[in-house]
Amino acid sequence: MNELDPVIHQPARLQIMSALCQLGERTRVDFTYLKDNLGLTDGNLGAHLTTLEARGYITVEKEFVARRPKTFVAVTPAGRQAFAGHVAALQSILLPK
Amino acid sequence: MNISPDEAAKALNEIEASRAAMRQAIRAHRGHLYLWIWGCAWMAMSVENWMYDQKALYANYWIMGACIIASTLIRIVQGRQIRGRMDGRFMGVCATLLVFGYFVWPVLLGDLHSYDFRSYKAAYAYYTVLWMQLYMVGGIWFDNFWFWVGLAMTALLVATLLLAPAMFWGVTLLLGLVLLLSGFYVRYGWRQSA
Repeated sequence: MNELDPVIHQPARLQIMSALCQLGERTRVDFTYLKDNLGLTDGNLGAHLTTLEARGYITVEKEFVARRPKTFVAVTPAGRQAFAGHVAALQSILLPK
Repeated sequence: MNISPDEAAKALNEIEASRAAMRQAIRAHRGHLYLWIWGCAWMAMSVENWMYDQKALYANYWIMGACIIASTLIRIVQGRQIRGRMDGRFMGVCATLLVFGYFVWPVLLGDLHSYDFRSYKAAYAYYTVLWMQLYMVGGIWFDNFWFWVGLAMTALLVATLLLAPAMFWGVTLLLGLVLLLSGFYVRYGWRQSA
């Protein structure tokens, strides 16, 4: 039986995890690109990413692209599994009992 | 943690909205630009070869050079937004194929500069099929449609060269059109989420 995950259920983190789980397994997304797509601010997105990273749901990697620092975000297998479990739990609430 | 069915429905709607927005963004990175560029290039080279045969060789080099530059620029720009992790083993396989195909076989064991193939068409088919092998390897490696594009084009090119050589440039033109249309399909028709 899947249970709701309070870390993922927070609205902004739910948005972040939904978006990241759409990416392929070997794919990462740029912080700014993710921020623009989700309509979040730098600080807001950064804080939520830190929370998700602490739980092991995402990885945050910094590297230089064309001599500029860039931050790339990707979902981990554990994050993908936790998100799938959360969605299943949400769906089970809507099922007639 | 307990929530009401209304809250659950709202959360699921938010998930779907977020997925849809990301799906839209991912669509712009699916590789259709490469298919458009190389489809047009292939068609242009086919027309040139049809009209001028081997004299078109150097013009083909210029077209390919321009396409490689354009593809690299697209890769750089898109890689700043969404990027796959570089797969060293896959790059190794590609490099091995290209070194063998461009150097070991034709240069070391053959004579590239004499175009010691049956014909210019056979040489053109050889290098085209070599790139199609990369499509096939990529398709197997990443489990996507590139495998089928490579396989279909390889089969059609070889069959035309051997069975109906008079139609060869017409078929390469058609294959360029297939690449171009594949780009439209990938951009606008493909429903797969990522």
